[in-house]
Amino acid sequence: MTPQARTRIAADIGGTFTDVAAFDEKRGVLMLGKTLTTHHRLISGILDGMRKAGVTIEEANLFLHGSTIAINTMLERTGAKAALITTRGFRDIYEIGRINRPDSFNLRHRKHAPLIERDLRFEVTERLKADGSVYQELEMGEVEAIAAELERLKIEAVAVLFLHSYRNPAHEHKVRDYLRKRLPGVFISASCDLVQEYREYERTSTVVANAYIGPRVDNYLGEIEQEMKSGKFGGKFLVVQSTGGLYALNEARQDCVRMMESGPAAGVIGTQALCHVLGIDNAIAFDMGGTTAKAGVVREGTALVTGSVMIGGYLTGLPLLTPMIDIHEVGTGGGSIASVSVSGALRVGPQSAGASPGPVCYGLGGAEPTVTDANLVLGRLDPKRFLGGEMLLDKAAATAALKEKIADPLGLSVTDAALGILRIASASMSHAVKGVTTDRGLDPGAFPTLFAYGGAGPLHASMVARELRIPQVIVPRAPGHFSAFGMLLSDFRRDLVRSQFIGLNAVEMGQLETWFAELEQQGLAALTDADLGTRKIVIGRALDMRYVGQEHAVTVDMPLSAFKRGDKKALKRAFDTLHEERYGRGSPNEQAEIVSIRSTVTGVMKKPKLEKIAKGTAKPRKEALTGTRKVYFEGKGWAQAAVYQRDALLAGNVIAGPALIEEHATTTVLQPGDTLKVEPYGNLQIAIAKK
Amino acid sequence: MATHPVKKSAAPAKAAKPKSAALRKPATARPSRATDTKKKARPKVDPVAVELVRNSLVAATEEMKSVLMRTSYNMIIYEALDFTVGLFDAQGQTMSIGLGLPMFIRGMSDVVKAKLEHWGEKDIHPGDILLTNDSYLTGAHLNHLTFSMPVFHKGKIVAFSTCMAHWQDIGGILNGFTTDIYSEGLQIPLVKYHVRGKLNTELRDLILMNVRRPDRAEGDLEAQLSACRMGVKHVEELMTRHGAETVTAAMDEIMNHSEAEARAKVRLIPDGVYEAESWMDDDAIDIGEPVPIRVKVTVKGDEMTVDLSSMSPQVKGFFNSCAGVACAQVAFKCLTLPRDNPINDGNFRPLKVIIPQGTVVSATRPAPMRVWMTYPMTVVDTIFKALAPAIPDLVIAGHHADLLTANVNGIHPADGKLFMYLGGLIGGGWGAKSDEDGVNVTVCMNDGDTHNGPSEQVENKFPLLVKHYTMRTDSGGAGQFRGGLGAETELLALSRVNFLTRSDRVVNTPWGLNGGQSAMGNQIGLRKKDGTRSFFPNGKVNLRLDTGESYILRSGGGGGFGEVKKRKRESVLRDLRLGYISRQAAERDYGIILSAAELAALPAQGAEG
Repeated sequence: MTPQARTRIAADIGGTFTDVAAFDEKRGVLMLGKTLTTHHRLISGILDGMRKAGVTIEEANLFLHGSTIAINTMLERTGAKAALITTRGFRDIYEIGRINRPDSFNLRHRKHAPLIERDLRFEVTERLKADGSVYQELEMGEVEAIAAELERLKIEAVAVLFLHSYRNPAHEHKVRDYLRKRLPGVFISASCDLVQEYREYERTSTVVANAYIGPRVDNYLGEIEQEMKSGKFGGKFLVVQSTGGLYALNEARQDCVRMMESGPAAGVIGTQALCHVLGIDNAIAFDMGGTTAKAGVVREGTALVTGSVMIGGYLTGLPLLTPMIDIHEVGTGGGSIASVSVSGALRVGPQSAGASPGPVCYGLGGAEPTVTDANLVLGRLDPKRFLGGEMLLDKAAATAALKEKIADPLGLSVTDAALGILRIASASMSHAVKGVTTDRGLDPGAFPTLFAYGGAGPLHASMVARELRIPQVIVPRAPGHFSAFGMLLSDFRRDLVRSQFIGLNAVEMGQLETWFAELEQQGLAALTDADLGTRKIVIGRALDMRYVGQEHAVTVDMPLSAFKRGDKKALKRAFDTLHEERYGRGSPNEQAEIVSIRSTVTGVMKKPKLEKIAKGTAKPRKEALTGTRKVYFEGKGWAQAAVYQRDALLAGNVIAGPALIEEHATTTVLQPGDTLKVEPYGNLQIAIAKK
Repeated sequence: MATHPVKKSAAPAKAAKPKSAALRKPATARPSRATDTKKKARPKVDPVAVELVRNSLVAATEEMKSVLMRTSYNMIIYEALDFTVGLFDAQGQTMSIGLGLPMFIRGMSDVVKAKLEHWGEKDIHPGDILLTNDSYLTGAHLNHLTFSMPVFHKGKIVAFSTCMAHWQDIGGILNGFTTDIYSEGLQIPLVKYHVRGKLNTELRDLILMNVRRPDRAEGDLEAQLSACRMGVKHVEELMTRHGAETVTAAMDEIMNHSEAEARAKVRLIPDGVYEAESWMDDDAIDIGEPVPIRVKVTVKGDEMTVDLSSMSPQVKGFFNSCAGVACAQVAFKCLTLPRDNPINDGNFRPLKVIIPQGTVVSATRPAPMRVWMTYPMTVVDTIFKALAPAIPDLVIAGHHADLLTANVNGIHPADGKLFMYLGGLIGGGWGAKSDEDGVNVTVCMNDGDTHNGPSEQVENKFPLLVKHYTMRTDSGGAGQFRGGLGAETELLALSRVNFLTRSDRVVNTPWGLNGGQSAMGNQIGLRKKDGTRSFFPNGKVNLRLDTGESYILRSGGGGGFGEVKKRKRESVLRDLRLGYISRQAAERDYGIILSAAELAALPAQGAEG
């Protein structure tokens, strides 16, 4: 690091692209670079992206990194040869799972496939009771014998899970410490170090996933660190977690599951940061790419987080107990294939042409018409300016495929078929948004702003917003780099949770304070170790609670003031209120109990100050208008739409639809009646026409 | 401690024909659309609108589900998903249903039709809420309260929004074995819970006085009404957006699509008459007296008829139901369009069901119905068994076909209060297929997205300690493809508890197909303080455990498929490595004797884990 190092660099590795966003703190300049992900050597993509952005690692005081390495290792099953050591009588928990059969009529339904097969799941004699007391002592002799076997089998990673370890970590730690000594070079992970919550199947699945991906992620991060060092990087290297918060490199190399969904999370964090700048409290983050559309929620200025997730989908996925931005996903993207069923029904998705062979218009061998082909045929995309003109699109081929496969079989015109595909795609994407709101008991109507990003988000946002009756769409700057951008605005964060079953009546406030303090001590220690010099620390507290007799607990954010005052009634009130909001009724007269306590320690980082862009008049400059194009709109038919170059727009510019705003990685569509205003920071603020 | 003795004479006696043999109308009274459309051109409907309506209907019932699950009070609704929400057209035909449990595919449409018939369109008004829990209408036990709200558009009924959910308690005796419907709780005939928007308070008070936890019941009731209202809102929006005519035409199209695709699937089944028989262990009253399940399936062209006329007459114990048509529909859907959404009546138009009144799956008052869900699962399996010679590649061998639940209750030593725990629900083995082993330890056919409960949760709440929860080695039926494994769990009582089970298929174990062998059956066991354990010859057990004694639940495996000699050696070796089978079974069932090298390669903790 040169003494004047002052740039923070964020690199986000996604499935298709690697994005770099860099911010020069002194000059206040944002620099961006996008390149294809280099799957054989991911680091090459980072270096290439930095070159494109025009930054070197030497200039950096902070390197922030998000990557799909963790989730891909899990989904592609390319992890380590791993073993599990668990309580006697419970090695099958991981394979039995929760026994559900969501695909109920499918006789070919399958269960989740464990990452560790039965012969590598070992049992040892030990048992804790629910209160953490020892029911049966740990037999270390058995552990020693298993260790010898693991060595013989050349096991690369070991997960350790004992029942009720969230109440008493002693047995897990004893085995963990022994194995680390006995099997040097083997990746050892104990469940209580990752998660201190009850639910043995989900906890087993979490610690196994960590062990399974651990060696590869550890190795990968180590390589990047080496590369950075050889590039004379002397700053801090932080990794993005699934909460969008940052953690230290050495933590990431051990607690790998926490970076599972870093990319999508960072986009929601970017939305949250823009909400603060723009004075918006409630918004939907809408991210659409080639294969999926994702929706997250910012509520009262904070991105909503959930405590568990299924990796690989609900039907056959593996659960993780790890905090994560709450994101609802549907399998609709630019590559979604439209088809006509044998009985003559029109469907869009769930099959996707992905990036390869991709839509018909890519000319890479795709033969099935997709959402992107429909956009091209309807004039929403310019065949010559896709990805800044790097890829020529074949409109004739797209038209022919739509005609042959969709329009003719249904007796529709090609344009009606194409518009139909977009309408159906918009309807299903609106369900993603509804999923992330209504499932939490939130009214989608209470979120009047939709932030649209990802390569296809701005293209579809006006249709999705209409579907949901959302009056305002915001297309941020660099919507195609938004996750990397979001990383620049993130904070150091540690989420801590511990199951603690106790009636609210029975617990002393002092006792609660002690438990929280223990958790927070861990978070503060992690912050100190990271040595970031953060001055401001924010602590958040929550309790998982339920009414006595219920099974299902909800996470209730608690005001810190209640703990200061020792006001137990305020805790109960907060729970009753949330219960009423989410479940339709609260029961102030019923007793409640605590299931888990949660704490979030945030080390607030110095943020890059967003720069305003140059001001202009209401009428955009001449050079911003690059021409007009015929575009087909619902209820309007073909209309001449003005085409603008986004880079040339100035703050204060106002554009009335129909219009298209083009930039490197995406196009924003304004429908007739929509009005766009470029706000001072360069974000496009679109008022959707009222019907 | 007492359990039922087992009669020695286990040979299945031929059951008498049911007395009432009045033919019930086939389930599909409507004329076949697809054959109509061959003759005349279909009405022209915008295919985009059809797809938008289809998406909206699926989303509507999903949201009704979400509302119900979020707002209900009892775990049977939000964990076991013991409910169904649905939208029905003005004739009561299913437009879309959100499950819930697969076996509820039928009952709600029948209830809506019964309501229509009872009041007539003229006597159903905006703001009415129609209610019943009549077992002989819903087909299930009294816990299933079914609420419907009519949806009006321009003064006419266009749809019904309906929600059925399982109430934790509906009165009646708490434990033991019932022998008539009167001992099973409050019966509510077809009544209006709201009349033109006004709550019938007397009816509400009557209901709440008859249930053990009126506060919880009221919570669940309100949740059901919220779900219904959500459905009404969605249908109204749909009508406003597309117009009633388009929605109706689109709905016709959706049903026609489902019908056409289902017919295309039936056409692939060779014409013929296919029959099969299987047996339930007993009815919990006449212990050891097997109960016959007989089905006859006729396939002709693109139509299938399931004839259940030779089923056992209704039984003395509480295993009766009116789920016969549902059984046929579940099997039919599995074989034709398992993933067609929304679930709608078009799918079932090629299916006819013949079923007289008074069988064990078409019971009449006052037959006891409390454990209605057990037998129908075996009926579905038997339909697959009947069709196995015709479509071996589509069917599945028998599964464990029981919920394996236990009612456990007693005084909690921590607070001296009564605790009640619905124990078990441990999952079991599923049958093998013509090209694939069966699935291990998964919930039975009656249930879908139902979850078991974490052991750590059980131990935190109840004076019980889970000794183990494992897969049962050798429980899957042998075959070219092996049946899935069942599970075993043992729970140690840390204080005195009462224990009641109502399991079946202990004696009559899950069968194999095409030469595949049968699996181990379900079992209930007890471990005494001295460590010895024993298993009951029957699945209906009612006893009290002392501190230090354990109960054991074992679920059966799935049947095998194809002859054992065709199983690949490497598959047997893999099963051995994973401990799915024991070395004895490898030798006995597959005739495979390991070489010294293969033996040495086996993990130390193999089968006995």
